[in-house]
Amino acid sequence: MDEILRLSHISKTFPGVRALQDIAFDLKRGEVHCLCGENGAGKSTLIKILSGAFQPDEGGQIFFNGEAVSLTPHTALRMGIHTIYQEHIVFNALNITENIFAGSEIVRRGLLQRREMRRQTENVLRYLKSDLTPDMRMSDLTSGQQKIVEIAKALVSKSNVIILDEPTASFSSSEIDTVLNIVKTVKEDGIGVIYISHHLDEVFEIGDRATVLRDGRRVSVHPIAGLTKTALIKDMVGRDPSTFYKRERVERGEVALEVMNVTGNGVRDVSFKVHRGEVLGFAGMVGSGRSELMEVLFGSAPLVYGEIKIDGKSVKHGSPKNAIQNKMCFITESRQTSGLFLPKTIAENVAVANMVNTREFITRPANDLLTGEKYVKILNIKAPSAHTRVVNLSGGNQQKVVLGKWFNTGGEIYIFDEPSLGIDVGSKQEIYKVMVDLLKERKAILMVSSDMPEVISMSDRVIVFKQGQIAGELTGEELTEENILTLSIGDRKE
Amino acid sequence: MSKPDISNTTAQVKESLFKRYENLTVLSIFASFVAIVVLIQLISTGGSRFPTFISPVNIVNILQQVAVPGIVAISMTMVMVSGGIDLSVGMLASMVSIVVSLGISQWHFGVGPSIFLGVASAVVLETIMGFIISRTRIEPFIITLGGMISFQGIALLLSNSREVVMQGELNFLTINLVEGARDPVTGLILRIPPYVLAFFVIAVIGGLLLTYTKYGRRIYAVGTNPRAAFLAGIDVRNMRLSVYMIQGLLVGIGATMLLARINTGIITLGQGLEIDTIAMVVIGGTALSGGKGNIVGTLIGVFFLGSIANAMNLLRLPSEVQFLAKGLVVIIAVSAGDVSSQISEFRGLKREQAKARSVAATAKKGGA
Repeated sequence: MDEILRLSHISKTFPGVRALQDIAFDLKRGEVHCLCGENGAGKSTLIKILSGAFQPDEGGQIFFNGEAVSLTPHTALRMGIHTIYQEHIVFNALNITENIFAGSEIVRRGLLQRREMRRQTENVLRYLKSDLTPDMRMSDLTSGQQKIVEIAKALVSKSNVIILDEPTASFSSSEIDTVLNIVKTVKEDGIGVIYISHHLDEVFEIGDRATVLRDGRRVSVHPIAGLTKTALIKDMVGRDPSTFYKRERVERGEVALEVMNVTGNGVRDVSFKVHRGEVLGFAGMVGSGRSELMEVLFGSAPLVYGEIKIDGKSVKHGSPKNAIQNKMCFITESRQTSGLFLPKTIAENVAVANMVNTREFITRPANDLLTGEKYVKILNIKAPSAHTRVVNLSGGNQQKVVLGKWFNTGGEIYIFDEPSLGIDVGSKQEIYKVMVDLLKERKAILMVSSDMPEVISMSDRVIVFKQGQIAGELTGEELTEENILTLSIGDRKE
Repeated sequence: MSKPDISNTTAQVKESLFKRYENLTVLSIFASFVAIVVLIQLISTGGSRFPTFISPVNIVNILQQVAVPGIVAISMTMVMVSGGIDLSVGMLASMVSIVVSLGISQWHFGVGPSIFLGVASAVVLETIMGFIISRTRIEPFIITLGGMISFQGIALLLSNSREVVMQGELNFLTINLVEGARDPVTGLILRIPPYVLAFFVIAVIGGLLLTYTKYGRRIYAVGTNPRAAFLAGIDVRNMRLSVYMIQGLLVGIGATMLLARINTGIITLGQGLEIDTIAMVVIGGTALSGGKGNIVGTLIGVFFLGSIANAMNLLRLPSEVQFLAKGLVVIIAVSAGDVSSQISEFRGLKREQAKARSVAATAKKGGA
């Protein structure tokens, strides 16, 4: 097996953040090399460097077939380094052939060579032992089949290296098997595969070697043969203790929210209780159904079966409107797309959610402004006044505006979905402090978080989600990174 | 990312005057247009006569012409702020005029019931369109395009493709509210009919509704970010439905006023009304994407578009020129805001480059 790709001393610094530090990595022909690590360990940054999307800091070197190269998206493709991202990049209205040759059409004397393109597509699909045909329309395929088309596209353009980023996320198990078989076929042809997956059993099924990243550093490289899952998980955990937040504990009160056998929106049979004065954390891999559960609880996705009780009373949330009236608040994961009205002012944003609780038809912008100013002060929002448009604020301050919007409704049960995603360290600490203040006011908090230090240091108890179900609950001494990881990426249920 | 982030936010976000007062751009363009017309008139008469363009009688004339499109532009603003559009208003107005005139002169329902029937039919038809738009993911453009064609069909069927002449039963809507008043400058008779008053009343109500009521603020929320609005407890579907119902009501009222002026129910009555009102609304700064715009801006747009034909007439330009002028006004008014922000960005870039160059130059000197 000869070496096709080698990285040495690769670092990548973003303003204020060291995303990668002195990474070494190599890939051989006909090898599947897996990248493992928690969310935010640096896997995505690394593959973006390999695909040419990011340039590494000075001092790092990339060798392709033994020659030092610098990678741009264009040169990477010319060398046959093909990255298949987690999100599908497909043209839904076109058929498989047209998708495969989009941007690299075969043209002779200005005319498209349709028959030739179709023939090549047919060949590659046969080679992948797929039952897809070249004329199938992309929008008719499942996401697993679309992934196969993307791999076929990489093969048609003569790849040397294929990078697969979470290729099986949200797939059914038969689709996963198909993708894994294709990876095996491709590997036998001498192509190097870099494989990123949260599912450890996939890593063990097809991987030859595994590199573990943690906090932007390379922790270890192992041959898969002879490796155990426990050993691999041990390498992935063990963060720097300084990243943990010491939180004040608050006395636990009565049950605020009780959820029984809730099913719907991809979530199956979920039951739990949240007490006042308590943060119930929800850990798990991205796509494990945590946000989907919160949507059901907040009434923005239908509840198929089950019961939700608030303060012991059974409630039915037909819409977010009812949920807000029942004193629930939902700080969504994506504040820009679902939390804020970006071109509007802080005052207007803060006023909007409380409208369901007010009877007056007439609103006075001056009153809204006063309320806005109040929350600017309470939450320490860094803005000249509540007249400032939200689009002009930083991520942390935007998140505080979202909090202000919900505090203004006088809610009792708060759902935080990724409360500190994409905000600076200072604002993060302030938001944690605000959460503790809420607990002191006898509110209850549900917190979805993929940030390991956050979920461990902020939660009183943690429910680990896996494939739309509760995989386990951790509290006290058991609440460790290792246990969370074991529960969330352990064996696939058949 | 911590340090730069914080300093960035404390930077007092200084918005330009034009950005802070969103109607200022179009207002200044309108003012320059008026100034140019007045200047040309002054030069051509050698300054001996008062420029007729801004004489009270002419202004009142313009008001009479824009009142009906103005009424429809108010509800069009609401529809567009909510993120929708309505292409059907012109044909709907024609249809209402035919329904009302038929009711009066052929079905003999009496004036009041006929007007009610006309207005009610407009509200019902807009409600149907609004229902489809708010309950499906189909573009409002397409639904209202279909509506426009169907309403034309209904109108032609009802009238057998003929015009319906009335005996002046609606003349009470065209009486002069200021009988006997004369223009102090020209001495001509001033006429302010009820529909001009109605336009003002509706504009004031619409403006207050959008700015000072919960309903109005929710229209903006729905137009700005429907997903966030839904999660903030707003019934997005019914909000979108309701703006079309208001549109129906105002089209019904406007069409009745127009019928009173013309005295004939005819398919050409509302022709081009959708183009004019949409043009007025976008000149006034309302974004096609929703969430942005206000009634004051729309009023400026109404007067601006309405005064173009009048100005061309006073300047003795051929009437064909007015379409070109109207089209240019739409393009200039809408692109002005974007062009000015691009210019200021470009200037900012130049300033930074100059700064960087001078820093580099001093560094070099220091090194040497």
